[in-house]
Amino acid sequence: MNKVELAVIGAGPAGLAAAIEAAQLGVKVVVFDENAQPGGQLFKQIHKFFGSREHKAGTRGFRIGQELLAQTEQLGVKVNLGSTVFGLDKRNLWVLKDGRTEVFQTDAVIVATGASENALAFKGSTLPGVMTAGAAQTFINLHRVLPGKKVLMVGSGNVGLIVSYQLMQAGAEVVGLVEAAPQIGGYGVHAAKIKRAGVPLFLGHTITEAIGEHQVESAVLTKLNGRFQPIPGSEKTLEADTICIAVGLTPMMELARMAGAEFKYAPQMGGHVPIINDNMETSIAGMFVAGDVCGVEEASSAMEEGRLAGVTAAEYLEYVDGIAAADRKALIREQLSAIRNGTFGKAHPRDEVKEENIYGLKSSGTPSKDELDSCPGVPSKERLAKGPVAVIECVQEIPCNPCEQACPRGAIKVGKPITSLPQLTENVCNGCASCVTACPGLAIVTVDRTYDENKALVTFPYEYLPLPETGAIVDAVNRQGEKICSGQVVKVRNNKKADGTVAISLAVPEEYAMEVRSMAKGGTK
Amino acid sequence: MTETNKKEVIICRCEDVSEAEIKQAIAEGFTTINAIKKRLRAGMGLCQGRTCQKLVARIIAQETGKSMEEILLPTTRPPVRPIVMGAFEGEDK
Amino acid sequence: MNILDHPILGKVEAAKRKVTLFVNGRSIEAYEGQPIAAALMAVGIKSFRQTARKQQDRGIFCGIGRCTDCMMTVNGEPNVRTCVTPVAEGMIVETQIGLGSWREIPHE
Repeated sequence: MNKVELAVIGAGPAGLAAAIEAAQLGVKVVVFDENAQPGGQLFKQIHKFFGSREHKAGTRGFRIGQELLAQTEQLGVKVNLGSTVFGLDKRNLWVLKDGRTEVFQTDAVIVATGASENALAFKGSTLPGVMTAGAAQTFINLHRVLPGKKVLMVGSGNVGLIVSYQLMQAGAEVVGLVEAAPQIGGYGVHAAKIKRAGVPLFLGHTITEAIGEHQVESAVLTKLNGRFQPIPGSEKTLEADTICIAVGLTPMMELARMAGAEFKYAPQMGGHVPIINDNMETSIAGMFVAGDVCGVEEASSAMEEGRLAGVTAAEYLEYVDGIAAADRKALIREQLSAIRNGTFGKAHPRDEVKEENIYGLKSSGTPSKDELDSCPGVPSKERLAKGPVAVIECVQEIPCNPCEQACPRGAIKVGKPITSLPQLTENVCNGCASCVTACPGLAIVTVDRTYDENKALVTFPYEYLPLPETGAIVDAVNRQGEKICSGQVVKVRNNKKADGTVAISLAVPEEYAMEVRSMAKGGTK
Repeated sequence: MTETNKKEVIICRCEDVSEAEIKQAIAEGFTTINAIKKRLRAGMGLCQGRTCQKLVARIIAQETGKSMEEILLPTTRPPVRPIVMGAFEGEDK
Repeated sequence: MNILDHPILGKVEAAKRKVTLFVNGRSIEAYEGQPIAAALMAVGIKSFRQTARKQQDRGIFCGIGRCTDCMMTVNGEPNVRTCVTPVAEGMIVETQIGLGSWREIPHE
């Protein structure tokens, strides 16, 4: 019988954050993870996170993962990899490692087992080539292999949108993104990135068949009517060799359930979730939960929940008194509510969000004229006529503020709450483009209408290969990914600080200055 | 895949159980996840229902009008992950 | 195919060691540390096994060792989840039919 003070099940963002917090307070922590590598889904996230600058926003997910791991090492937290917890009761863990089982007796447990991806069934859905979006992400970002060349994505939540973008970064073509609802499910800026890259969005459609002999060769999409039923005769066939399914996640709560924790059904959180108090404690004393297992959300909130569970566990184990614990928890809760103010936070369960006017960026990934006209980050015509200036096309409330600190002149204000749309002080801004590469949503460009006699210079963020050569003539595209003119590459800035987000400056005919927002991948369409 | 198989919608990937087979079983009175599992083996394959459980539940909900909450009431027994039988050798229990 | 260069992840290290696998008799190269499924995916092999009941093809589905779609017979041992099992020099990987069967592979 092995004894462990605090066992954390799952070495993803929630589990690692919990272990660090508890260890900082003196607890001896052992983390168990069934995988060969720690980090859960975190190391597959190669995009820059939203959130507050003070808490790692603007940093790529996998770098946050590396930092968390370094901290666990410094604090002497033991991380047992390849260790599958297959049984749990109030105080005991049954663990399988290297073909042998062991039992660990614990004083407290934090369950941070995350959530698993949902499946979707349709004709041909078992053909090789049909896989979850997470599977594709694992192969392209961890194993560095492409699952195929022509990918159809099913589902427009954040996972579907982000993985579509990452597939293109890896060199695949995304032949389409299918969404049953009439509007996209994830953040508008994620959709905007893939629209600029020319990915067709099929809103109000579903996939009805995958065709192929022994693997996917094509896919059939069908339009849906107002009651989500397929409209006969509206089928479209797309050539594809890979179909990714991104239709939601379900908390992996089997262990907590087995131990006897009480549950409630919360479909907007992904299914059955443990009932917890605001200290992340389940109905079982000494058993805590954090992260997607208690409701599907995001990595940033998983980390904060983990920290909360870590403090509470330390308090339970009497490593910290009630007052000190309360102080620490108050700070964490403040951070959590700042992140949760956005649409995808647990504080705003999705089925309570009023679906009022879903239009523009939030609906289709393209901001409407109204949204841009009333956007506090978009400068006036007068200012644009004077010289280089930032154009911050951030029109949807997201808990996110790296742009504010990226500006060396203090010309951008987000303030509190951090979901506020960034405001540009246009006469302080000099168009230096520091914000262009800092924005995690890639929603900022700079425009210089005075560049040349009848040319404007548009500087936009770019995260694909190959990078164009200075002087090259390329296809300039608008927000919908349509080529509207040619442009000449004037500058390609790849600063280390921008961590892979390159700023490309394109000289385009003046009249397109407020339409050109990127260039065709590879230079030409 | 044979011609008939191409037109099927497979729900349980491990045991090749189709949507039509599940609907037929529901019509015959098998209206819980466990009943479907025992009747058709959907959920008894190597992944132990991890992939198909929610899909089966949704079909039961559609066909019977029961709520997803009622159908999905969790009953989990160890082991919750695939384990090689040899791992249990030499245990005292 | 292998993603040798990437805008965020950079280039695959030139020093990464390679191993040889035998897949249904065909020798293929893999990077040390890769899961078997990644090595197969890199050369375009998508169908890993056939189901017992309806002889349907299966390949990668969840990619993280939970769904069991990706199982193959490896060095004579059936039901090996290729998406979470790393490659090894000289590994013998075979398409699995149904639940497969155990047999001795003569080792050199």
